[in-house]
Amino acid sequence: MGDYRSKFAMVETMMNRRIPQMICFAFGAALFTVFFLSHPLAKDLNLTITVDYWQIIFAFTLIVGVVSFVRITIKNIKKGEDRPYRIVSLIGLIAMPVLALIWGIRGDSPFMWVFEYVQVPMQSTVFALLAFFVASASFRGFRARSAPAAVLLIAALLTLLSRSSLEGILPVYFSDFADWIRSNPSMAARRAILIGIGLGSLTTSLRVLLGIERTWLGGEK
Amino acid sequence: MSATRSQPVFETRHLIFLSLFLIILVTMLIGYNPEIKVTSETQKVYDYIDSLPSGSVLIVSFDHEASSLPEIKPIALTVLRHAFSKDIKLIGTALLAEGTGVGYRLITETAKEYNKEYGQDFVYLGFKPQYIAAILSMGESIPDTYPEDYLDKPYFSNEMLKDIINYDDVAGVISIADGSLTTHWIEYGASRYNVNITAAVTAAMMTTYDPYIASNQLYAMFGGLRGAAEYEKLIDRGGAGKRGMLAQSVSHIYVIILIIIGNIMYFVQRKRRRGSK
Amino acid sequence: MDWSTIIAGLLTLAILSFLYRDNPAYKMAESLLIGVSIGYFLVIIWTKTIMDLLVDPLFYDAKWPLVIPMALGIMMFGRFHKKTSSLSRIPIAVLIGSGAGVAIPAMLEARILKQVSATVGPLLTDTGMPDISVIVVLIGVLTTLSYFYFSHEHKGALGVSAKVGTYFLMAFFGTTFGYTVMSRMSTFIGRMEFLLSDFLKLTQ
Repeated sequence: MGDYRSKFAMVETMMNRRIPQMICFAFGAALFTVFFLSHPLAKDLNLTITVDYWQIIFAFTLIVGVVSFVRITIKNIKKGEDRPYRIVSLIGLIAMPVLALIWGIRGDSPFMWVFEYVQVPMQSTVFALLAFFVASASFRGFRARSAPAAVLLIAALLTLLSRSSLEGILPVYFSDFADWIRSNPSMAARRAILIGIGLGSLTTSLRVLLGIERTWLGGEK
Repeated sequence: MSATRSQPVFETRHLIFLSLFLIILVTMLIGYNPEIKVTSETQKVYDYIDSLPSGSVLIVSFDHEASSLPEIKPIALTVLRHAFSKDIKLIGTALLAEGTGVGYRLITETAKEYNKEYGQDFVYLGFKPQYIAAILSMGESIPDTYPEDYLDKPYFSNEMLKDIINYDDVAGVISIADGSLTTHWIEYGASRYNVNITAAVTAAMMTTYDPYIASNQLYAMFGGLRGAAEYEKLIDRGGAGKRGMLAQSVSHIYVIILIIIGNIMYFVQRKRRRGSK
Repeated sequence: MDWSTIIAGLLTLAILSFLYRDNPAYKMAESLLIGVSIGYFLVIIWTKTIMDLLVDPLFYDAKWPLVIPMALGIMMFGRFHKKTSSLSRIPIAVLIGSGAGVAIPAMLEARILKQVSATVGPLLTDTGMPDISVIVVLIGVLTTLSYFYFSHEHKGALGVSAKVGTYFLMAFFGTTFGYTVMSRMSTFIGRMEFLLSDFLKLTQ
């Protein structure tokens, strides 16, 4: 019995960790190698993995996300939490595939009508609300408390002034200086961040492929 | 319920919000269009498209969501109008699902203005998920990535696509983006397949791409409503960019005033606190 | 005015009502937006990927090797049951492994080598004068990188360098803030143009 249990645990570890790690390494090594090859076979392999494997699996993962959303929404409707709002969400979600199924998704279809006259206006207005919150944050949080904060403030003020139509009234060197700040000190900091992210991504990718980084496998189970 | 009752009817933030709303409302009702200067970055994008011989093929990728449409639409329209007026053939793609519907609408409506024909002068391929995979696979084979176009027509049934297999057959890519997707065009498209990338982005993303401009990995970039207004001036055609410039400028000044008032209040309070110690 | 514009206008106003405070009209519009957005996404993914890249080639063109990515995709649904949840790790392994394999050369070339080589330019101009911009960029990149170096305490030369790096970072954040304000205002101006021109017909 004990032997059976240990064998079962071994198979479970294989399924949970070893096999995914091996697959991860195999696919990573294949695509890494293909990058340096120009042979037609290498190109075919690249195309197979990026189109057939990558995109199809990714599409399924998105569908899994949608199914999860539906399950949680139905659970909350049953519980009575924000019931009217949850029902509206669910109706919206179901309506889109139904409209697409009956009338298609082209040009002037009802599906596109909902997208253009319901989704786009609301989504862009939600984004537009940020204009007000940015204004409020400028008033409340943008204070020259220290020398670095003063630099932040000056850079922001220069940018805002140089990109307004006051540029015609202000001296030419004002806009030139704002542009210089953006193209040099500001760009230098952004470049350093970019290099830092690059180094981080590189090492993380290597750690993932070599099996040192295993957090993507989740917990022990 | 009691929590709702205890909330004041009017708070400081409401005053800030209302002032901004009224300022933009009034400036838009005035309808005055201030004169603006064309920056060198917008000029570079214009010169690039203008220098392409007629019949060249450009990929225009709608890499944005519906949320940024009010800012993206004027930017996209200027590029599309300029390209169609120069008889450049366009292939429309989208790397974000929401860009798909928007891109199709924009490209077909602009094409109508210039009497351009679908399949001959422009084609819309639509959306592919997982942007890195889409960019890489298009580098190998566009027809394999998009066996059919957005209208479900087979790829090669479109006359203008007969000789277009991968990035080697196009003059470049213009990424119309509101996020970091242009980065992937640069890192995977330009680095690996040497395709020329130009960006038309929202203003918030411009500083993100500055290092790529400085290193010549990104050929040119313009953006924001202000960029759209500058481009409208270059192609001599008014639009939402030009119409919005007074409101844009006044809103900047409003934010500057808020920052100054906020700082004055901070320093007065700090002086008082130090005085009382 | 057509019904489409009236509906779009009313929904826009419902979202804007949040500026006063959270209210049922906003919540209803927000819930509808969530549902419709997910529905739209689902339809596009289904038609443009599942149908175009999988179902049509597999069942009409008999492209049988596609059975493998299909099986891998279906394994993702294993997440919904405890007993089958480990199956979903296999497609995730494919995505993560291939993503890492692609990222290594791309990051090395596009983010590190190209950016470093662009930083190291001639420090003197053609006339023999020091090129201030090149020097500023070089100092900026090095000091900002030192700010993010956390393996040693920021003391002595590293401390000074990290402090200088902070100023460069603030210049970047300030400039980015300016452009972000510009962007958000542009979006609101766009919505106002819709309300004033299409919905209320107050402007042309």
